[in-house]
Amino acid sequence: MTVVAVHRPNVYASRLGRGALGFVVLLAAVVAGTCIGETPIPLTTVAQVLANKLLGAGYPLDPIDTGIIWNYRLPRAIVAACCGTGLAISGVVLQSLLRNALADPYLLGISAGASTGAVTVTIAGLGAGAVSMSLGAFIGALLAFLLVAGLAKAAGGGVSLQGTGQIVLAGIAGSQLFNALTSFIITKSANAEQARGIMFWLLGNLSGARWPDVWLAVPIALLGLLATIWYARALDAFAFGADQAAALGIPVRTTQVVLIGVTALVTAVMVSIVGSIGFVGLVIPHAARFLVGVRHGRLGPATAIIGAVFLIAADVLSRTIIPGQVLPIGVITALVGAPIFALILLRGRRTR
Amino acid sequence: MILRTKDLGWSVRGKAIVSGVDLAINEGETLGLIGPNGSGKSTLLKLLGGIRQPTRGAVSLQGRDIASMPRRKVAQIIAFLEQQAETTEAITVRDAVELGRTPWLGPLQPWSPEDDRIVADALRDTDMTGFEKRQWATLSGGERQRAHLARSLAQRPEILLLDEPTNHLDIQHQLSILQLVSSLPVTAVIALHDLNQALSCDRVGVMAGGRLVALGKPEDVLSVERVTAVFGVRASIITDPADGTRLFRFHSPS
Ligand SMILES: Nc1ncnc2c1ncn2[C@@H]1O[C@H](COP(=O)(O)OP(=O)(O)OP(=O)(O)O)[C@@H](O)[C@H]1O
Ligand SMILES: [Mg+2]
Repeated sequence: MTVVAVHRPNVYASRLGRGALGFVVLLAAVVAGTCIGETPIPLTTVAQVLANKLLGAGYPLDPIDTGIIWNYRLPRAIVAACCGTGLAISGVVLQSLLRNALADPYLLGISAGASTGAVTVTIAGLGAGAVSMSLGAFIGALLAFLLVAGLAKAAGGGVSLQGTGQIVLAGIAGSQLFNALTSFIITKSANAEQARGIMFWLLGNLSGARWPDVWLAVPIALLGLLATIWYARALDAFAFGADQAAALGIPVRTTQVVLIGVTALVTAVMVSIVGSIGFVGLVIPHAARFLVGVRHGRLGPATAIIGAVFLIAADVLSRTIIPGQVLPIGVITALVGAPIFALILLRGRRTR
Repeated sequence: MILRTKDLGWSVRGKAIVSGVDLAINEGETLGLIGPNGSGKSTLLKLLGGIRQPTRGAVSLQGRDIASMPRRKVAQIIAFLEQQAETTEAITVRDAVELGRTPWLGPLQPWSPEDDRIVADALRDTDMTGFEKRQWATLSGGERQRAHLARSLAQRPEILLLDEPTNHLDIQHQLSILQLVSSLPVTAVIALHDLNQALSCDRVGVMAGGRLVALGKPEDVLSVERVTAVFGVRASIITDPADGTRLFRFHSPS
């Protein structure tokens, strides 16, 4: 008999090592996102601003540079990182729970529902603060998911492998419905100025990101990451379906409720800060699988890091690709995402 | 009495799929479940494993109501092998078999050399050593079935619930898997279609129309009359001159 003896000297040390590596990559991406822009800012200046602000170093600096770095670029990069992480992780979780390679908060209509919720709260004047908008978005996101899942189930789909088409179709229907609702609400109730602001935000836009958004986005992104790490084995166990997950000791219903709840919350908060950005939740998990495999213990954290780096890069591109113009970030993610989506569809067809 | 049901029933949209099942399973025995397609064997196994919640009656596992036990605790005692379980994930055989350790590992608890050993043993027992790195999608039907069984064995259960574990296997693997199950110190409930395999179980239960219509020693339960009544075929029993075991032959009803 040959036992595959794998030597594992210190599992915790290697986990810590990988965590540290991820953190360094993330930090580098945030700093890069802060440096690069229409007016490039040297790395030393960024470092000095950080030293001044965080450690009180007192380097003599141009207050305008300081303002641009500290008040605009840095919070923008951090919010971009959180959104990338949050949306990508939502994609991983949904793909595992629904056993569907095409599941993603945007395609399933969750982002659209969140938009409707956020817009309703804004226009109804229930307070335009980030928190109340997030709450509205959360309710919208949950409603959208329940509607889409219910529709898919009624159409004979749901989470069985045969039902993969139905949930995507139901998601498209849900997106259309909620986008129409959003338009309806805007047209009916918003004044011209509000309407312009909302339309700009809906397309996905990071230019409004400030420190208060950071304080909302960071804990929510961390919550999403921790949930995927905590539930990594459970997500693995869904590989052969919910019944087998139950047979492997996973409390299926609780796990589904908690994880769908977290996904809806993360998506809702990100949508209420930056609007709905498509394809991140779809494309990043597949890229991460390609790099680290399908086991969620690695896939979750890898997806989080890649998502963060990807969205920072997409934001930088959206600011710099056309001189003097800012593209909505959703345009960049769709330009990258749509061809990859097509590839996944084609590959799925071949293996069926 | 390791597993016992009382007036167990499951219905969906008012239609009873399983009803009135009273079953007491003894520790260490191998119980064969037979019955025509749609007679409720798979449903009964899911109820026994606590995968489905009964709409009538209850299942007790080692004296406790299974519905009130934590799922993880149940999975440390019972391994349930589904009739059909497929995946589109690009997992390897080793990934699939390692899933069997799930009930024994906490969320952040690392994998141990002991887990490696158990997985290697499960692969060896199911003759799947050497397939570890193969992609699930590239396996044949029988190889998948053996990998599923390896996953169930890696769970190190006291009770194995197996839903048609041999229907894709070649004759050698059919015999070796059934031999393995009966030699392991576990209680096993196996849904089967091959009545000759059922004859080698300790006891046999016959399902028909969602009810357990007979239960007992194979030679008592599997009479020609009952087989004819339940399956609607003519049958005759012949004796193998080599070792004197009884064998069924079937004829379509004239
Ligand atoms: N969720 C469900 N909804 C409706 N009908 C169901 C459901 N689950 C099972 N059934 C029906 O219950 C009956 C028993 O199904 P079950 O799978 O238990 O049969 P079985 O004895 O395992 O059959 P087979 O030999 O074909 O595996 C079948 O007629 C099936 O169609
Ligand atoms: Mg069956």
